[in-house]
Amino acid sequence: MLIIENLTKVYDNGFVAIDNLSLEIPDGQFVAIIGLSGSGKSTLLRCINRLIDPTKGRIIWNGLDITAATTDELRQIRRRIGMIFQQFNLVKRSSVLTNVMAGRLGYINPVYSLFNYFPPQEKARALAALKRVGIPEKANNRASALSGGQQQRVGIARTLMQEPEMMLADEPVASLDPATSHSVMKYLELLNQEDKMTILCSLHFLSLARAYSHRVIALKDGKLEYDGSPQNIDNDRFKMIYGEDAVEVEIH
Amino acid sequence: MNNTPMRSTQILKRLIILVVIAVVVVIFSYGWTVTNINLAVPQEPQRQQNVGKSLRELLSPNVFTQDYEVSSYTTNFRIICSDNEIIPPAEPSTLLYIIVEPTCGVGDDTVTVRGFNFPANGLARMNWIATDGERRIRQVDGSEENNFVADDDGTFVVQIQVPRIRGTSDEIHTVEVQGRFPIGTPRFSDTTNLVMEKMVETIFLALIATAVSILPSVVLSFLAAHNLMRPIRGQFGSLMVSFTLLPVGWVLGILLLQPIGAFMFGLGRESGTSALAGLGIVVLQVIMIWRVLAIIKALIPFMIIRRLLNTLVIIITLISIIGLVGGLGLFFRDTFTEGILRYVGVFVGSLGQIIQFSMELIVALIGAFALSSLGTSLTKDLLKNTDVTFNHLLGGLLGALGGAILLGMTATIGLTAAWMGLLTPIIAGTLATTLLPQAYRWFVAKPQVPNSTDRNILRALAWLSGIVGFIFTFWILNVGQSLVEGMLPAQVEVFTIGGATLYRYVAIPMVIGAMLGGISGALGGAKGTFPLGGVIYNTTRTILNILRSIEPLIMGLVFVIWVGIGPFAGVLALALHSIASLGKLYSEQIESIDAGPIEALQSTGANRLQTIMYAVVPQIIPPYIAFTMYRWDINVRMSTIIGFVGGGGVGFLLQQQINLLRYRDAGVAVLAIAIVVSILDYASAAIRERYT
Repeated sequence: MLIIENLTKVYDNGFVAIDNLSLEIPDGQFVAIIGLSGSGKSTLLRCINRLIDPTKGRIIWNGLDITAATTDELRQIRRRIGMIFQQFNLVKRSSVLTNVMAGRLGYINPVYSLFNYFPPQEKARALAALKRVGIPEKANNRASALSGGQQQRVGIARTLMQEPEMMLADEPVASLDPATSHSVMKYLELLNQEDKMTILCSLHFLSLARAYSHRVIALKDGKLEYDGSPQNIDNDRFKMIYGEDAVEVEIH
Repeated sequence: MNNTPMRSTQILKRLIILVVIAVVVVIFSYGWTVTNINLAVPQEPQRQQNVGKSLRELLSPNVFTQDYEVSSYTTNFRIICSDNEIIPPAEPSTLLYIIVEPTCGVGDDTVTVRGFNFPANGLARMNWIATDGERRIRQVDGSEENNFVADDDGTFVVQIQVPRIRGTSDEIHTVEVQGRFPIGTPRFSDTTNLVMEKMVETIFLALIATAVSILPSVVLSFLAAHNLMRPIRGQFGSLMVSFTLLPVGWVLGILLLQPIGAFMFGLGRESGTSALAGLGIVVLQVIMIWRVLAIIKALIPFMIIRRLLNTLVIIITLISIIGLVGGLGLFFRDTFTEGILRYVGVFVGSLGQIIQFSMELIVALIGAFALSSLGTSLTKDLLKNTDVTFNHLLGGLLGALGGAILLGMTATIGLTAAWMGLLTPIIAGTLATTLLPQAYRWFVAKPQVPNSTDRNILRALAWLSGIVGFIFTFWILNVGQSLVEGMLPAQVEVFTIGGATLYRYVAIPMVIGAMLGGISGALGGAKGTFPLGGVIYNTTRTILNILRSIEPLIMGLVFVIWVGIGPFAGVLALALHSIASLGKLYSEQIESIDAGPIEALQSTGANRLQTIMYAVVPQIIPPYIAFTMYRWDINVRMSTIIGFVGGGGVGFLLQQQINLLRYRDAGVAVLAIAIVVSILDYASAAIRERYT
């Protein structure tokens, strides 16, 4: 259970990204977060694993207060929360295998990392993760040599190394074409169904939210605009979320 | 109606442009005068002649040399002709010979000398030998030089004047032609050989300076990269504890760790057997860390003791390894004194020496950092469950302690030179900047989310308290007077305990520091955050910028005083400048990397070190290689002139040759520099292109 209480984030320039937001997300739910650019989707996701420190409010996950965690505690918590990104955030010059194994760093003795060493069982685990996302043959390629969809799958494999209980996906398909988008979303669906992972995924397309999520959270100017089933978003609700002039675009 | 203001603003704009142009012209003209540009000087004939001669010699570098054979050919000449004795001309033959026409005459007569069968374009010189046997060089007509050149067919026809030699008449004189004929093939001149030798020295000087600078610059570049450092915030209380513990750890390190290091050093140096024993000890220690430590730690109930034990074992092992390596270096040097291994021996021996003479510094640093990091983590644990009153009380206490130590240290540095005295007011002012803003937050408003007005007020208050702090410290320490007089501040003793004396000049800043740190700490609380990364970033940047602005030639001057004339001084000067300059270039590369991977690895729970190793390092390796090459290139160029101040290399030779007006030799050095620099320029460009 992820509980967000009165979360507020004000950036140093005074911009209010999240405004007193409260949410409860039970384990195992696939949640889509939608809203315009700048509505606070990315900030919300980053507050959950404290890549961004919230200004006010609390985030409690399985009884742990993430907002009050010390550096060491925070690393323990982050190990169990995977995150994938719109720009994939791979180290482009490193091999795919290294990128995937880097997901395991939270578990590895930091002294090993100084010498760029991973135990053999971690290598095996990384290969298994790559197999799971369907690109085991790319292990020794440079990350930059992969297509966008493949890079995002490497990103997913990297989070698999963490054996996460929750996955934060920050617009994971916004840089991908429609067909690839669906394949990446299917992997997230798989993780949700097979591994019972809680998934928080910010999306641009409502059609994707409808197709994959159990619940849609819509943000507008950092405030909760809608919270409920994806099926209940009709044209009026849509215009409330995206503004009067918006027209829904389908992605198949 | 609207035209009028439009027109007036346009006129104003043009007027401003005109004024700007006028100002620029005036500034430029002033510069013209200041730089002593005088177009008449370069037109003076004497100067033109001089520069022409020097340039001609510079452009005719004395690269090659050849051996010559000098042989002389003579014919007779009678002073005052008399009918009865006319010396008959020699018969034409295939051998070298000369003919003089006429064969007799008086002083100032012009006679023609013909030569046959000389080597084509062979160099020759004309001598007149009177009865006294003395050779008088005769310049041939139409030439200003003593030498003349034979024609392509090996003949020459020149005219000379018969010298007027007092008291000669009715004598037979000898006309001599000395030929200088090359033998063998041309070879490099001695100058060229010397220049090449010095050039090798120059290239290696640059190489060593660059290599030595890489490691420190890499470390500094991380500290000087704002994207890595700015986010680092320390906890005020634990930071102050670690700060206070630094000097304690320093002393403890020297007292406790130095004997260990010295012992291991001795083992490494003594003999092969003892070195083996030392190696055994190190291996045991590593096994201890690897396998045994965890078991022992499991038996100890107290967290603090476990951590202490852990740190202790690791630093003792570290010191042992450093000491042993140093000793082995000297052992190696003393053992291998023959062949190529001799060079390696000298090198590792030097490394050993570095470890030997910096052992005290190494153990002090290790002790200081170990103790302070231990203090940090313990304080963090301790502070976790403290109540508000205690938090602020402790903050005040620790702040006072830390502030006193900090300003005490800067004041001690201030005792080294008059201008260093500025350091204390600057640091005090910086400390003071926190004072009013925190007071404002505490007493006036406690904005959870400061808006822009609050922010402006806070900023103004920070400036105000900073400036007040600076002026007050400046005034009370009488820094102004010592700046004007260029004198160190008077040392008034406060008290002496044992061997340590506290001076008033240090005591006052300590009180100021204690007050500033104490108030700031009490208001912020021990649990408050402190922009540690920002402070480190700004300090590193400032030091790098200051170092970089000092030219290597000036550094060279100082190092020549320290280590004497020679390439070693050059290496030190170039290395120091390279550290500053590479540190800056490297850190700019870190600042321009893709932040995405950093974010991604942080989200996996990797710690800071791991994030740097896996997200930052792979991204910066190519530009680092490129910039290192570039720096080597620059260092070769600089090392060619570092010799001008005594820093060794080809520059030293070049300066000597210029001072001796031997421009043809100087030309060789200039040519060599041009060749080496352009080759390196090309090579480094090619390598850089590959990596960027």
